[in-house]
Amino acid sequence: MSEVAMELIDVRKTIGKKEIIKGLSFTIEKGEVFGFIGPNGAGKTTTIRMMVGLMKLTDGDVLIQGNSIKSNYKEAVREVGAIVENPEMYPFMTGAQNLAHYARMIPGITKERINEVVAIVGLEKAMKEKVGRYSLGMRQRLGIAQALLHNPSILILDEPTNGLDPAGIREIRRYIRKLAEEKNVSVIISSHLLSEIELMCDRIGIIQNGELVAIQQVHDNVETDNLMQVEMEVSPRDKAIELLKDHHKIDATEMGSKLLFQLEKENIPTLIKTFVKHDISVYQVGITKASLEDKFFDLIGENTIE
Amino acid sequence: MSNFFKLISNELTKIFVVKSTWIMYILLAVIIIGVGILNNTVGDIEKSYEADTWRTELEEENARLTQEMEDESYLESYNSMVIEENNYYLENDIQPSGYGAWHFILENQMLLSLVSLLTIIVAAGIVANEFRWGTIKLLLIRPISRTKILISKYVSVLLFALFTLIFVLIFSGIVGAILFGVEGMNPYTVLEKSGGLEFVSVIGEIISGYGYQMIILVMMATFAFMISSVFRNSALAIGLAIFLMFVGNQIVFFFAERSWAKYILFANTDLSQYADGNTPWIEGMTLGFSITMLLIYYIVFMLLAWIFFTKRDVAGN
Repeated sequence: MSEVAMELIDVRKTIGKKEIIKGLSFTIEKGEVFGFIGPNGAGKTTTIRMMVGLMKLTDGDVLIQGNSIKSNYKEAVREVGAIVENPEMYPFMTGAQNLAHYARMIPGITKERINEVVAIVGLEKAMKEKVGRYSLGMRQRLGIAQALLHNPSILILDEPTNGLDPAGIREIRRYIRKLAEEKNVSVIISSHLLSEIELMCDRIGIIQNGELVAIQQVHDNVETDNLMQVEMEVSPRDKAIELLKDHHKIDATEMGSKLLFQLEKENIPTLIKTFVKHDISVYQVGITKASLEDKFFDLIGENTIE
Repeated sequence: MSNFFKLISNELTKIFVVKSTWIMYILLAVIIIGVGILNNTVGDIEKSYEADTWRTELEEENARLTQEMEDESYLESYNSMVIEENNYYLENDIQPSGYGAWHFILENQMLLSLVSLLTIIVAAGIVANEFRWGTIKLLLIRPISRTKILISKYVSVLLFALFTLIFVLIFSGIVGAILFGVEGMNPYTVLEKSGGLEFVSVIGEIISGYGYQMIILVMMATFAFMISSVFRNSALAIGLAIFLMFVGNQIVFFFAERSWAKYILFANTDLSQYADGNTPWIEGMTLGFSITMLLIYYIVFMLLAWIFFTKRDVAGN
C-alpha cells in the first residue's frame, strides 16, 4: 500500500511579498485518508487550491498520479474530485440540474452513474428541489456527489463535516473509509476539528504558517490501546533514531531534546536494553497517552489564529 | 467538439433557468404589444389601399392632413412629411402597400437598444456571477482549459443576443399581423433618405437597419463581458457598459474637434454613416477605417478578457 497517488514537491506560494506557503513536501498514498489540519490562515485552502490548479504555484510542483498540475493539467485534474471551501452550487437550479451540469463537463458520465452517486450520499428525495433551499448539510452531500461523479482516484474535501449533524458526520465518515478501503481512493480532508479527523484518517499532516509542522500516523493509535506514546530523552539522538529504525522498525520524531515514537508497553525494556548495549545514555523515559488534540496544541500552541 | 457544445448548453441552461431572463422576455413582449396597440388606436394608419381608388384616397388624406395642420400647428412637421410621401406615390404612380406587419417590424428596430441592454446584463453576469456564487471553483477544476470555458461563455452571450433578436422579429411580426394584417410578401415603402425620398423594399430596410444596430450590440456586449472577466463584478460591468452605450455619441460630439476623436469607439460603431451617400461624422473617416477600428477594439476587449480569466488565480473572496 505504498503506491503514491499525489506528491507535493517543495510547493511554494508568494502573494505580493508575503510567502504564504513555504515549501510543502509530502506524499499521499493510494487508498489512504490523509488529514490536513492547521489553524485558520495556516494555508490549508491555499494549498488545496494549488493542488487542483485554481492557483498557480510560485515554485515547486504537484504530481497527481504522476502528472504535473502545471504542465499536464487536464490529465492531472481528471483524477481529482474536490470541494474547495464551501460546497457552492447554483442556487437557482435543482440538485439534479446541478449534477447534470457538472456531468456534462466530463465525458463518459452516464445517467446511471449520477443516480449511483446520489444514492451514495442519500439525496434521492431532494433531487428535484432547488439547491437554494438545501440545508448546509444537504449542500455538503451534493458537493461530495459532484466530486465523485467521474470516479476520481483522489478526493479532496475541504471541511467536509462542516454543517452536518452528528448522524450525518458519522455517515460521511463511514463512507469516506469505505471509499478508501474498497475502491482504493485517496482522500484528503482538511479540517480544524481534530477529533473528527482522528476518527477517519490514517495519517495527518499539521500545517502552520505555511509550513508542515508534523506528519503523524493516527490509525494504530486508535485501534490498539496497547500501543504507547513513548517519550525518551537520550543521547546521542541520531544514533538512537537509527537503532529504532533497524531494530524495531519505528520512525521516531524529534521534539526538542526528546524522541517521540509509538511502541507496545512490553517492548520498552527490550528497547532500553538495546540502547544501553549500543552505548546510548538514557536520561528519561516517559509514556504519554496524549490525544491527537493535545499533540496538535503541543506542536502549534493554543492561540495561533493569525 | 461535442464537449464544446455541452459547455454551451450548460451556459445557456444557466441563462434561461433563472426567472429574470424570462421577465426580460415578458417585458419585451409587453412593449411590443403596447407599441402595436398604441399605433393601432392613436395613429391614423391607413391599413390598405384599393387598387382602383388609392389615388382619391391619398388625395383625401392629403386634404384632411392639410386641414389638420392649419388647426393644430404642432402637427405641421409630421403631417407635411406624410403629405410629401403621399405626393411621391401620386407623382410616380405607385400604389402604396399600406401599413402592416413588415412596417411594424421595421419600426421596432428601436427595440434593439433594449435587446442590447438585456445582452449587456447577461454578458456582465456570465463570468462575474460564477465568482459571486463561488461556483467558479467547481467549474474550473474540470479537465477543460480555461480558454475553452471562456469561449463557451462568450458564444453563449452571442447566442442569447441572437435568440432575443429573433424573438423581437418574430413576435413583432405576429403582433403586427394580428393588429394590422400583412402587406404582401415583399412590400415597398417610401423613406426619407439623404438624397430625398426614395422607394425602397421594407425587408431590405429591416435587414440593414437591424444589421447596423447589431454592431453596437456586439461591441457593447463584448465590452461588458471583458469588464466582467477582468473585475469579476457584474454590477460594474452593467453600469459601465450601459453608461457608455447611452453617452457614447455625446462623447464623440464633445471631442469632435480634436484630432483623435475618430479613434473613439463610438465614432465608428454606426456604419450607416457611410451608406447612401451620408456624410461621415468626422471628416476623413472611411468605411475601411471604421471597420479596422472596430476590429482593434474587439481584439483588445477579447484579449483582456482572456488574459485575466486564464492567468489570474482564483483566490478566496
